[in-house]
Amino acid sequence: MDAFVQPGFWVFVLALAGIYGIFALGLQIQYGVGGIMNFGHVGMMAVSGYTIAVLVIKYQWSFWWAAFVGVVLAALLGALLGLTTLRLSGDYFAIASIAFAEITRYWILNTDSVTGGTQGTLAIPNPLGFGGYTNQPDLILTWISDRLYPIVGDEASRDMSMIFIVWPFLFLFIWIASKLQQTSWARVLRATREDDDVPRSLGKNVFRFRLQTLVIGSVFGGIAGVFWALQFALLAPEDFLRIVTFYGWMILILAGATRVKGLIIASIFFGFLYGSTRFLEFWPLSLLSSPERAYLRVFLIGFVIVLLMLKRPQGLFGKRQEMVLE
Amino acid sequence: MENLASASSTSLDNSSSDFAILDVRNISVSFGGVRPVQDVSFKISENSFTSVIGPNGAGKTSLFNLISGMNKVSAGEIIFRQQAIQAIHPHKIAQKGLIRTFQGAKIIKRLTVAENLMMAVQGNPGDNLSGFLRIRARRDFEAQARAEAMRRLDQVGLTKFADEYAGILSGGQRKLLDLSRALMAKPSLLLLDEPFAGVNPTLVEKLIMVLGELRKEKSMTFLLIEHDLETVMNISDRVIVMADGKIIADGLPGAIYENEVVIDAYLGSRRKEIK
Amino acid sequence: MSDLIQYTFNGLVVGSIFAIAAVGISLLYSVLRLVNFAAGDFLTLGAFLTYFLSVTLELNFFFSIVVSMLAGMGISWFLELVLWRNLRRNKAGTLALFLVATGVALMLRPIIQFLFGTETRKFNIDILKTYDFLGARIAHTQLLVLIFASASILVIALFISKARIGKDMRAYANNPGLAAVSGINVDRVVLATWLISGALGSLAGVFQGLVQGQFNNSMGESLLLSFFAAVVLGTIGDAYGALVGGLLLGLFMELSQLSFFFGGVPSNYKPVVAFATLVLVLLFKPEGIFGYRGRKV
Repeated sequence: MDAFVQPGFWVFVLALAGIYGIFALGLQIQYGVGGIMNFGHVGMMAVSGYTIAVLVIKYQWSFWWAAFVGVVLAALLGALLGLTTLRLSGDYFAIASIAFAEITRYWILNTDSVTGGTQGTLAIPNPLGFGGYTNQPDLILTWISDRLYPIVGDEASRDMSMIFIVWPFLFLFIWIASKLQQTSWARVLRATREDDDVPRSLGKNVFRFRLQTLVIGSVFGGIAGVFWALQFALLAPEDFLRIVTFYGWMILILAGATRVKGLIIASIFFGFLYGSTRFLEFWPLSLLSSPERAYLRVFLIGFVIVLLMLKRPQGLFGKRQEMVLE
Repeated sequence: MENLASASSTSLDNSSSDFAILDVRNISVSFGGVRPVQDVSFKISENSFTSVIGPNGAGKTSLFNLISGMNKVSAGEIIFRQQAIQAIHPHKIAQKGLIRTFQGAKIIKRLTVAENLMMAVQGNPGDNLSGFLRIRARRDFEAQARAEAMRRLDQVGLTKFADEYAGILSGGQRKLLDLSRALMAKPSLLLLDEPFAGVNPTLVEKLIMVLGELRKEKSMTFLLIEHDLETVMNISDRVIVMADGKIIADGLPGAIYENEVVIDAYLGSRRKEIK
Repeated sequence: MSDLIQYTFNGLVVGSIFAIAAVGISLLYSVLRLVNFAAGDFLTLGAFLTYFLSVTLELNFFFSIVVSMLAGMGISWFLELVLWRNLRRNKAGTLALFLVATGVALMLRPIIQFLFGTETRKFNIDILKTYDFLGARIAHTQLLVLIFASASILVIALFISKARIGKDMRAYANNPGLAAVSGINVDRVVLATWLISGALGSLAGVFQGLVQGQFNNSMGESLLLSFFAAVVLGTIGDAYGALVGGLLLGLFMELSQLSFFFGGVPSNYKPVVAFATLVLVLLFKPEGIFGYRGRKV
């Protein structure tokens, strides 16, 4: 039970929650506003994360420019996905979006000379002889830790500094997203969730609205990728498996598909689920080896998704009407 | 039969050809062997009120789908205010001022009644993401759209439902909302697809009254689909009769009422019943 | 020339497995409008259970396969009773069905890992034995799989076209409303569909395990998108189409490695050929090879 009372555990949970909160916010804009079922969201995170690693390690770019380019590329991947397949109806688009993310991952996996292949970003060939890409932002993280030290003492850590970077962004993005939801732009999108012909017959370019939604969501996916890359300081292809998208979906349906504020609690719940299956050392968890705990995590996430859909499809904070009227 | 139809339409065309807002030229469409619209031509003059009547399956709604761009013609041209529109996207056609409604009143159930209306206002700066930053322009536009929506709701007596989900409205109320929404877009040509179908007689009178008032304003052209001639007799300047994808008669309502071809092909049995 | 024979043969073997897995997915979609994201893990389950019975417990191989198929059917039945039936009653939307299917996959995978371990496994069959056929090397296991898979495909096709319940399934898929009023027992049709897809999942899993020689517990999951590609290629919801789509995709994936195809696709990109086929079919012929244009997609 010790880990429960250790601040370090909760700090990790919060840092992770912030990152996945931003990730899920992208899905929320796509599905909650635009009704788009994107099951390949992890691809956006992979693209921005890997762009940073490659540009910084292989080409010695500054981290900040690399992050910017990473997010732009994630947005472009979203645009490409949308331009090619967004005309398909919901379930076909969902399948196509998975295929997109998987193609991205296979490319990363098999292009050793650029991405380091199966061994991850450590194996990216680089002229300077070091494998990290977080040196520049680490200066900021250290600066924050130094300021935290007088207050929290030895508990000051890189994870804790991450919270101070990620959460302000999460709040900012949630604020932007809730503003976006109140616009006439979002009103058209909400209409398209029911019917395309009506908005179209009233002069709305439905495809363009959807495409914009997909790209905006992808930008959030890309930004989440930047923070993810920063948090773990090492990327490998298996970090971007299909299941990561469903981490985001679990957060989203737990919060309620259109409830921006529920997202915070749902993300923390996810962070807790993730962190506790990884670090907690009490019976019966202590009986399991570390790979076995990874299965437990996957099982629990599947279980939460199934249970929610069966018992409370509107999520903890949503209105039932919105899910049932689908 | 052909002569009769073309004779009556020619006379109408001559009087109004200068002001034809819509010119449909020999359009046809076919879907895998079926040809719902075959070589249809007619002109609609500005500020007129034309009704297209015909039995189910005559091709009326297919015709509307072609004019509004929802389906593309296999052959022929559609000219709206001197511009060919048969090949452009439906939303672009709508932006030019050609607005349609749908059979059975397609309202958006999970938007409020007011939101349904506000969505229809044209030229919204908030339709573009670039408009997202023009906060004041968006706010002013929303306020105006809301005021306009409340005016329209007042006109049809739905004010008290303004902030309810549109899904709670009854069938007749949905028709009123549907018509109001189309009017919010300030169309120059309004296509109404069976606005009276399944509506109780009192409400039909109300709808016809609203349409009558709009006609007096002389700012809008109407093209309306109806399967029953009697309903539109008094309100229409002109009636086009369709059967099996073709126009079988075209002329003044009174003339159509007496037209032997039409009586034989379509009105016959009903007329006898009434008499 | 021998290359062509070699890859054609490989393609037929792989394709016949795709066909068996795809027909289950396609039937489920046609009857329930459900995209079964858990289908891949049913393959894994079938392979591991058969391994457990035939290698660990040293039972007869064919008997083990039959038990695995029964297990796949049992689990599908159980899920129909506790999950799918309730979701249909709640009028669950597309997203809910998607997520629950995924959730089932996420739960099934750790259970398999927990029960049967994470080690790479292989069946007790000589995977190194090969025959020479016009210069192509044909593995003993491949030949076995091709024979039994072809027989299975024939049985499936006959079942759908001739058996009473098969006809009911097609009638229900074409027009659920009409089928329900014309006296078809809907619950029975749905259950039969689940049982068939469960059995076929296990069977395809064993075949795939045999062809691969060695397999681990991500085997089925990694093939899932290829199955979807086969289903979409053969027109989604069309059972015969799925059989043909599976065979075509298998052939295409193998033959794409030959040099005439843009110099040959490297073998580690084989799955990408399937994903790309999926995307391209969705883009240019979303109705599939047996669909008609008017179909809504």
